[in-house]
Amino acid sequence: MKKLMTFLSIIFAAGMFLAAQTDLKILIKNGTIIPTAGQTIERGSILIENGKIAAVGKDLPTPEGATIIDATGLYVYPGFIDAFSHFGLTEIGAISSTNDFREMGRENPEVRAAWALNPHSVHFGTSRINGTTTALVAPQGGTFPGLSTLVKMDGWTFPEMQVKEVATSLINFPMTPRPPKEGVSAQQEAKEDVTSKLVEKIKEYLDEARRYLKLKKLAGENPGVTPPAPNPKYEALAPVFDGSLPVIISVEKAKDIELALKFAQEQKFKAIFRGCAQGFKVADKIKKAGIPVIIDSLYAGPSEPEDGYDAPYRNVVELAKAGIMLCFSSGEDAALGKDLIYHAAKAVAFGLDRNEAIKALTINAAKIFGVESRLGSIEPGKDADLFITTGDPLDFKSDTKQLIINGQAIDMTNWWDNLFRKWSARPIK
Amino acid sequence: MKSRTFIFLLAGLLALANLAPAQASAPMSPKNLLLKNGNIITVSGGTIEGGDILIQGKKIAKVGKSLPAGPDVEVIDLKGKWVMPGIIDSHSHIAVEGSVNEMGDLITAEVNIKDVINPEDINIYYALTGGVTTIHTMHGSANPIGGRGIVLKLRWGGSAKDLIFEGAPTTSKWALGENPKQSNFSGPGRARYPKTRMGVEAAIRKEFEEAKDYMRGWDDYNRKVKDSQASKGKKPLPVPPRKDLRLEAVSDILRGKDWVRCHGYQSEEMLSIMRLCKEYGVKLVCFEHGLEGYRITNELVQYGVAVSTFADFWAYKWEAYQTLPHAAALMAKRGVIVAIGSDDAERMRHLFNDAAKTLRFGGLTELEALKTLTINPAIILGIDKFSGTIDIGKDADLAIFNRHPLDPYTVCQMTLVDGKIYFDRAKYLDDMKKAEEEKKKKEEEAKKAKEKKNGAED
Repeated sequence: MKKLMTFLSIIFAAGMFLAAQTDLKILIKNGTIIPTAGQTIERGSILIENGKIAAVGKDLPTPEGATIIDATGLYVYPGFIDAFSHFGLTEIGAISSTNDFREMGRENPEVRAAWALNPHSVHFGTSRINGTTTALVAPQGGTFPGLSTLVKMDGWTFPEMQVKEVATSLINFPMTPRPPKEGVSAQQEAKEDVTSKLVEKIKEYLDEARRYLKLKKLAGENPGVTPPAPNPKYEALAPVFDGSLPVIISVEKAKDIELALKFAQEQKFKAIFRGCAQGFKVADKIKKAGIPVIIDSLYAGPSEPEDGYDAPYRNVVELAKAGIMLCFSSGEDAALGKDLIYHAAKAVAFGLDRNEAIKALTINAAKIFGVESRLGSIEPGKDADLFITTGDPLDFKSDTKQLIINGQAIDMTNWWDNLFRKWSARPIK
Repeated sequence: MKSRTFIFLLAGLLALANLAPAQASAPMSPKNLLLKNGNIITVSGGTIEGGDILIQGKKIAKVGKSLPAGPDVEVIDLKGKWVMPGIIDSHSHIAVEGSVNEMGDLITAEVNIKDVINPEDINIYYALTGGVTTIHTMHGSANPIGGRGIVLKLRWGGSAKDLIFEGAPTTSKWALGENPKQSNFSGPGRARYPKTRMGVEAAIRKEFEEAKDYMRGWDDYNRKVKDSQASKGKKPLPVPPRKDLRLEAVSDILRGKDWVRCHGYQSEEMLSIMRLCKEYGVKLVCFEHGLEGYRITNELVQYGVAVSTFADFWAYKWEAYQTLPHAAALMAKRGVIVAIGSDDAERMRHLFNDAAKTLRFGGLTELEALKTLTINPAIILGIDKFSGTIDIGKDADLAIFNRHPLDPYTVCQMTLVDGKIYFDRAKYLDDMKKAEEEKKKKEEEAKKAKEKKNGAED
């Protein structure tokens, strides 16, 4: 380990960041490689060329000019994917000038996280320390919060970070019971089935958008037809309608999940569910619909006391058992992005297979966002996004020694390290 | 809203009739209990592998290897499970009826959590599922002096009175910085003094001076009463001063009777209030949160004030930004008594996970990490002679895990308070299974009844 650190410190001290040299070759040697695709390779090597994984195996020859990272006694995993976050859209929760994740109003299907994302947020540096190399950054709030973006956790600019500038659309599905601030009484709710009414409203909005797109198309083909006044909100929904853009539907309660399943089917959406706190009650139905699920922060209580105290963790186990494609997310606190692995560990503690958890953090998430050809496993041809750690990456004790993103060993220092270095030096009196 | 919450909780409790309250209403209570074959993390004297704990009544009677069971002793074989002292959450707001902030005034030293304990808060049960046996529940941080807090034992199912931790000192909750100056308050409502940290200090000082004056008034009165009695009625009895409950409470603070728990984030602010407390003879015991406490470890140690902090919660407001998850370890390693508290019903049930983070961030040893949940909060709360370690004579408050409590895959299996089992995961799983079967049975019966009815109609 010392060797690696010495090597890296020399590189950093010399100011010759690996990032600066695009043709650089890196050979990681003697590490235990967990590729997630295929078997674990003991004392294996990974050759990285031009930002991509060139070869994986035992006893790879050292190409001329390659930088060698000795990973003896260490473990190499593909970079983890955080499937829902606000990284770069907020710095300090209470200071509104630092917040860019919530547009006003209910319907904002056109607003883009890609426009607002700040690559220099401290939360990228602190949130990747447990192996996260890619994250979905999504806006929040209202019924249509906007468009998410899929980014690498490093880059000098947003274009350098982006994997998919626009990754998904988003819908916050109505919740039963309605949140208290909306002032719908329990009696009223029972009498009127408020949720179904709200779903009808969403459908009406979508129908209007479809009519708009149809009319616009008609006008384009036929000069005699007056085109509708431009509506960017409706335009943003076009790729959702034709199935080219997936839509994340945030939904919690069993009853609402059933409504959302019906809704997604009727609308012919390429749907991804997020949350599904009561998914375990309707797991077979979610499985049948073939909809993957993004697990929210597991630092959460049960959706209802009757579900039992351990419902959030048991839920993940039951969803996995049903064969549903799962991935994890750190949730809505960008400052706690590093907790991604602790949520996964919590599910493992309550019965999720550990290998399944690792898959959920890597290849599953890549598949869900349609980037499995580039991300999610250590295989030749894929992006060289990986990390070298001292042990089980889900363990509190493990320490990430080096992150490699796009084939570059990135600067691991962050906001916390700077404070730690400064204040550790204060003399003890 | 308040009544709605209560109804909701009550409904939840009733719905759980087969689950938690079943344990709550009749916790298993053998007179003597022998826990056998556990890995016992005593916190005071190492870990005993394959050890036993004999509980007599509410107390730990023996700790060691191969203890004989004897008559009238129920034996539980732990089969290598891990036992640690029950977790003590030194910063909680659960089990409180209604709001935790008295927003009606600036200094509200006289209000007392003891008067609004809610023993039916389901979060008590959730805390038990995370190995928590004792909490310090208190007012929020809206006011420079918020009111009196209380230490509770989680005797779930008992009355408000049953929850009170007898023998724990009374506490007074103070707050500095953004919350008392209402920096982050939005929405309707009038602006309130203070709006600056200067105002927070001024408000506290003003109250202290008034209390001193008040105490002088009563001292003067008491002296005159004595004089009158000594003169056998020659000197007339004086007129007593007006009783003021708020100033009475502040007087108790100035007499050092109440243990002050001061919410504060910024290091300079912490230093300032330390100077003020010294000046007035206030017993400042612990900073709440103290996210910048890592900067002033010399001063904290010298003064003898502890910090009840978070493992890694940060960046939610400006005063919580200049910090790092290594802060708890930095302070602990430099001699500060550090507790990791929850401030939140959810965080409360995974405090053992939070403590484990200090192994990575700042490099605490496992023992040091576990101290932040046990003996350290016990010292801070003045209950270390009753709890915080597994030692003979202490209360049998224990948390039992299937793996080491700092292992990422550990699950709390059993929680004992005063030697009684208040949470038992095996029983919970069994109850859940039964409830599920019951539900299925009812559904089938309803189905059959419907079919029968339809058949009759045909």
